[in-house]
Amino acid sequence: MRRSHLLATVACATLACAPLAANAQFAPAGSGGSPTSSVPGPGNGSGNSFEPTENTPAAKSRFSGPSPYAPQAPGVNAANLPDIGSMDPNDVPQMAPQQSASPASGDWAAYGHDDSQMRYSPLSEITPQNADQLKVAFVYHTGSYPRPGQTNKWAAETTPIKVGDGLYMCSAQNDIMKLDPATGKEIWRHNINEKYEAIPYTAACKGVTYFTSSQVPEGQPCHNRILEGTLDMRLIAVDAATGNLCEGFGNGGQVNLMQGLGESVPGFVSMTTPPPVVNGVVVVNHEVLDGQRRWAPSGVIRGYDAESGKFLWAWDVNRPDDHSQPTGNNHYSRGTPNSWAAMTGDNALGLVYVPTGNSASDYYSALRSPEENKVSSAVVALDVKTGSPRWVFQTVHKDVWDYDIGSQATLMDMPGQDGQPVPALIMPTKRGQTFVLDRRDGKPILPVEERPAPSPGVIPGDPRSPTQPWSTGFPALRVPDLKEKDMWGMSPIDQLFCRIKFRRANYTGEFTPPSVDKPWIEYPGYNGGSDWGSVSYDPQSGILIANWNITPMYDQLVTRKKADELGLMPIDDPNYKPGGGGAEGNGAMDGTPYGIVVTPFWDQYTGMMCNRPPYGMITAIDMKHGQKVLWQHPLGTARANGPWGLPTGLPWEIGTPNNGGSVVTAGGVVFIAAATDNQIRAIDEHTGKVVWSAVLPGGGQANPMTYEANGHQYVAIMAGGHHFMMTPVSDQLVVYALPDHKG
Amino acid sequence: MPNTYGSRTLTEWLTLLLGGVIILVGLYFVIAGGDLAMLGGSVYYVICGILLVAGGVFMVMGRTLGAYLYLGALAYTWVWSLWEVGFSPVDLLPRAFGPTLLGILVALTIPVLRRMETRRTLRGAV
Repeated sequence: MRRSHLLATVACATLACAPLAANAQFAPAGSGGSPTSSVPGPGNGSGNSFEPTENTPAAKSRFSGPSPYAPQAPGVNAANLPDIGSMDPNDVPQMAPQQSASPASGDWAAYGHDDSQMRYSPLSEITPQNADQLKVAFVYHTGSYPRPGQTNKWAAETTPIKVGDGLYMCSAQNDIMKLDPATGKEIWRHNINEKYEAIPYTAACKGVTYFTSSQVPEGQPCHNRILEGTLDMRLIAVDAATGNLCEGFGNGGQVNLMQGLGESVPGFVSMTTPPPVVNGVVVVNHEVLDGQRRWAPSGVIRGYDAESGKFLWAWDVNRPDDHSQPTGNNHYSRGTPNSWAAMTGDNALGLVYVPTGNSASDYYSALRSPEENKVSSAVVALDVKTGSPRWVFQTVHKDVWDYDIGSQATLMDMPGQDGQPVPALIMPTKRGQTFVLDRRDGKPILPVEERPAPSPGVIPGDPRSPTQPWSTGFPALRVPDLKEKDMWGMSPIDQLFCRIKFRRANYTGEFTPPSVDKPWIEYPGYNGGSDWGSVSYDPQSGILIANWNITPMYDQLVTRKKADELGLMPIDDPNYKPGGGGAEGNGAMDGTPYGIVVTPFWDQYTGMMCNRPPYGMITAIDMKHGQKVLWQHPLGTARANGPWGLPTGLPWEIGTPNNGGSVVTAGGVVFIAAATDNQIRAIDEHTGKVVWSAVLPGGGQANPMTYEANGHQYVAIMAGGHHFMMTPVSDQLVVYALPDHKG
Repeated sequence: MPNTYGSRTLTEWLTLLLGGVIILVGLYFVIAGGDLAMLGGSVYYVICGILLVAGGVFMVMGRTLGAYLYLGALAYTWVWSLWEVGFSPVDLLPRAFGPTLLGILVALTIPVLRRMETRRTLRGAV
């Protein structure tokens, strides 16, 4: 280490260029001692739960969060709502037929179009032949964007829904609105007065849920409702016709979802996805801010009565047989895996498919319970009558790579052996492995192999799983393991820098275990493969569209001492400053022996990724004929990207990182934005040819949708941008149509 | 030597400057490339770096040999690049594009270096 420091100094002095010393993210040589000598606490986890009790003394770390038994900070119960009462799940009234079960052909009734979440629309006015004539029909401003003095944490990620005469959506800070689908005129707007402090990692609202009551008669207020989960953890129900709160739901139209979660601060726990309603049960999950502390608030999944807002059941991983709400000073089990992806409901089977993430403190697993290890980074099929899992399919065993599932499961039929269709579920993952399961029992329909996962040099007391599951019957949405020659740059100078960075890190493929002595490379990484954009599927043609990332990460565990020196502290530490330290990548992981430092695998001086392009791809897969790749190409041009963050203006389809999904239509057109070139595209579903593109006023990191109004087809995309993807933030929903049908 | 610096033209100064740049790049290649080779990586950079430093030094000395050494390093770069990644333009970009641009400039300095060499020979003969 010392030698290279010296050399680096010479090189810098002579070249006045990027210092080589920075190849290591920080000087690990200086952190002192072997990793084992600094492991405090129980360390050698053998699967027991170490959750502190009320009498556990405070941690010895310089920065640490309060006891899980401490009271919730002011503002955690954002609307100061009283506790919600419970009711017996057997008393949930029979659900009325829902719009999302069979939407009108011009509607888009749920986040992923309908209950199947296929992101397929039967509309066909726009075709590959006429798509190049698309023009802006109208733009709507949600009014949510960073104000002066506020850190940019915005990424609206919103997809409107369209039912009948309304386009319903939410702003990045959860205000709800109904627009005229043909003109974009605001019909009503319900402001929920969410505070800036409530924004967690990202101000996002992916969408709202349309629910029709069986108890309130047609024509009465709140017969049709818009349900929303908010960043500040409220479940809100408003009347679809007027936007007024539904008085009969919860406490005056709202439920406090922080009830039972114990100690927390605003921004620690949040909801960003539309809650599904399954057989009258509205199911809520929530995101828990990554990397803060081992004993973060629970990742509990809960069911509420969609009519009354009353509590029905909880699925608390470490209390599997207790489905009730905690009372008194008790709380749901801390640090359990959270689920932040959109869930998918299945009325026929009475299940909700929950894509799960990791236990809190993603990169250290020795303090996790066996129950947690069974259900993290998995698809969990919960029975909506009881809140108990009917089956679990795990996509990563004992995940310490933040391969939490961001995608929503898509429901479709697969051809069975006897010719009968099998009810199937497609689960894309950040690993780029896409699992196709029988949704009745969770058994793989396409073959899944458990393959050895070599893991030399594990952290003491934290062994890795000897095998990991691979979906061998489905094309992998990833590139092969990285090699030195995959390093890239503008010139041999920065390429050499990246080659050294590559060689300095531990890397034995996808499951390289976390290390403290030097950095390790994580590929596909937490932004890799399929993220929350999910996939779209055309049931007529059998074509599945998936966009995915090739964005490796460069990670390193740091000792507690080093983490303290770096000022890493959990969000609920009294010294924590909003917007500074901890939330984005680097994390204190308070309560474990280590903190975590995470950066993209890039040349930090040019801001360019170290690996060769492409960084983002789009793939069409024929699901009816053996899952063959029909076409595949890079997604996103270099026009808005370049070294030092400068736009090159080049039309070169280099393939940029992308966030947000696609829509496929009966017209044979795929609509997708997602890439960091801030464009929306229309792509011929059958050939992959880009037939139209337009520049958006902000980053298009959202799932587009399409609908019909006044007999014509519209395409809507929230150009909200994304702070982490470094695309421009805007508050504009942009809606396109063919020229004769402008507003 | 110092007395030969009396009457340099602009092109000669630019040639010297180019030689200096090549020395710096070469030093970076030798040092960082040595690091890479010791980490088990490619030895191309350290070898190329030696050629570049030598080429740059001869250019600064006003010797045509310097330009030829650079062009030799460039030829080596192309051979190595094609061996490592084939004819893939995306992968040739970081390896060969910049060095080739620099190579064009170096080729342009050959007449200048020749003139400097001739002048020095004449002076030596006096």
